[in-house]
Amino acid sequence: MKSSQRSTLLFIALATLIIVIVSPFLGMSHTTTAEIQQQILTEIRLPRMLFAFIAGTGLALCGMVFQAMFRNPLATPFTLGVASGASLGAALYVYLGLSFSFIGIDGTSFAAFSGALISISFVYYLSRFRSNFSTETLLLTGVAISFFFSSLILFIQYLSNITDSFRILRWLMGSLSIVGYHDILQLLPFVTICVAVVLWLSRELNLLMTGDEIALSRGVNVQGIRYALFFVSSLCVGAIVAVCGPIGFVGMMVPHICRLLIGHDHRWLIPATLLFGGGFLILCDTIARLIIAPAEIPVGVITTLLGGPFFIWLLIKARI
Amino acid sequence: MTTLLAVENLTVKIANTTLLSAVSFHLNAGDYLCVLGPNGAGKSTLLKALLGIIKPTAGDITIGQQAISQLSQKQCAQKISYVPQAHGLQLDFTVIDFIKMSRYAYHTALSDWATDDQAAFEQAIAITDTESFLQRQMQTLSGGERQRIMIAAALCQRASLLLLDEPTSFLDPHYQAEVHQLIRHLNQHHKISIIEVSHDLNHAAQHSSSILALKQGKKMWFGASSEFLETGHVHTLYEQQFVFTTHPQTGAKIALVSEAS
Repeated sequence: MKSSQRSTLLFIALATLIIVIVSPFLGMSHTTTAEIQQQILTEIRLPRMLFAFIAGTGLALCGMVFQAMFRNPLATPFTLGVASGASLGAALYVYLGLSFSFIGIDGTSFAAFSGALISISFVYYLSRFRSNFSTETLLLTGVAISFFFSSLILFIQYLSNITDSFRILRWLMGSLSIVGYHDILQLLPFVTICVAVVLWLSRELNLLMTGDEIALSRGVNVQGIRYALFFVSSLCVGAIVAVCGPIGFVGMMVPHICRLLIGHDHRWLIPATLLFGGGFLILCDTIARLIIAPAEIPVGVITTLLGGPFFIWLLIKARI
Repeated sequence: MTTLLAVENLTVKIANTTLLSAVSFHLNAGDYLCVLGPNGAGKSTLLKALLGIIKPTAGDITIGQQAISQLSQKQCAQKISYVPQAHGLQLDFTVIDFIKMSRYAYHTALSDWATDDQAAFEQAIAITDTESFLQRQMQTLSGGERQRIMIAAALCQRASLLLLDEPTSFLDPHYQAEVHQLIRHLNQHHKISIIEVSHDLNHAAQHSSSILALKQGKKMWFGASSEFLETGHVHTLYEQQFVFTTHPQTGAKIALVSEAS
């Protein structure tokens, strides 16, 4: 078992490495000079790929944490309203015609991040108010908030002029096309802290999978650990979504595939999810970039197009 | 006899419903206590309060002179281990990983599997005779095998007190006898004190050392097991008439549900 897990992890690492090496060179125009090609590579492709890797890693990891924490394949930060909060923030920013930047952070990102934080706090407060932090309460709250915020976004879009409405729609589709190195720096601390905390708590995650009662009787401070994980992952997803929009399904799909490949032991599952998530988002972004080149499809469209059928397959096949 | 566990006026209220009301009892080191009572009497609530899963509204629980409320969850796990009621949760682990995880209370995030851990693990396997299951997946185990693994995992915690919540429900008579024999063995040969929630009246009367009868969240009777069937409390406890006979082999007094309406 251990040796097969090791070889699976090695395989995932190798596949990710190949994606990382090959993808920046795909779709390179041969008509331009070597100098320009060089420039495209270091100033556009490389930061974009790095960003895709970090974002994919963060989204997949947070999905994994929520699924394990609540022992529910549907519980991801997205289903719990983080993305809808961020989207509402961004939509409001565009509609109100605001334009500012805050300590070097672009205004849209700032508005989206605030939106994500507000919806997280709301879900957190409600679940705390309801004395027990049950999965059902959380999921229902998240779904209700998502619907409510989606309607508000539609309403804002309806009130907006056609340019703003398109900008909002474009943001909602999710994209990695605008990123430069400063976006990476903006994201890195959130993802790093989240990865560190999750790695630190991998034993606890395993025990949480056995159910709250067993975990408590083994000595896990279930409530405290759940709050800690809930916050670091929500902040991490909030930060990612703020920059590149709600890139759906990565957080739900990748951890499931990794569980099928490598099993449920988090000591193996965490590294597998990190690598797979990063590699997967680079791959999706490369497809988004190439499929109707020189135009680009928003990467969120690709991940969701892959995610929808995958999710239905999961419903049919797996025990939900 | 030293007192291992003392429960004083334990009261648990959840959303204005009183689940336990001023329950007091104590347990000496080496005791085997059976908790009896009809469904909804507060038996599982009692275990959950002892484990810290539910916070008591009032009252004190002390284990080995220390108040449970003063202990961290890990310290608690080193003193009390638990075998939950059979639940439907999917456990996606191999048996060996599942058992080894229960050494959590002795670890920090960076500590490695030590010789103490290995010793506790090997002893738990030997006592429960589960060596042959180790490589299997948890969800492939039958009810009886699973219960032995749950007990092995609890033993791995090296706690002096073991709580079991209806350990033999859903098991066939063969496995019921096997699990009960294992629990008695733990109590007699390994000096582990036991609190078992049970619906098996005759098992409790014959094999445990003391009985706590709960009804509607209140203590109805607490005393030596040998006296319980003599008191007549059994009829009021379950609101059911019983008739008595003796076991053909052991001569012990046995309660049977009365056929008269």
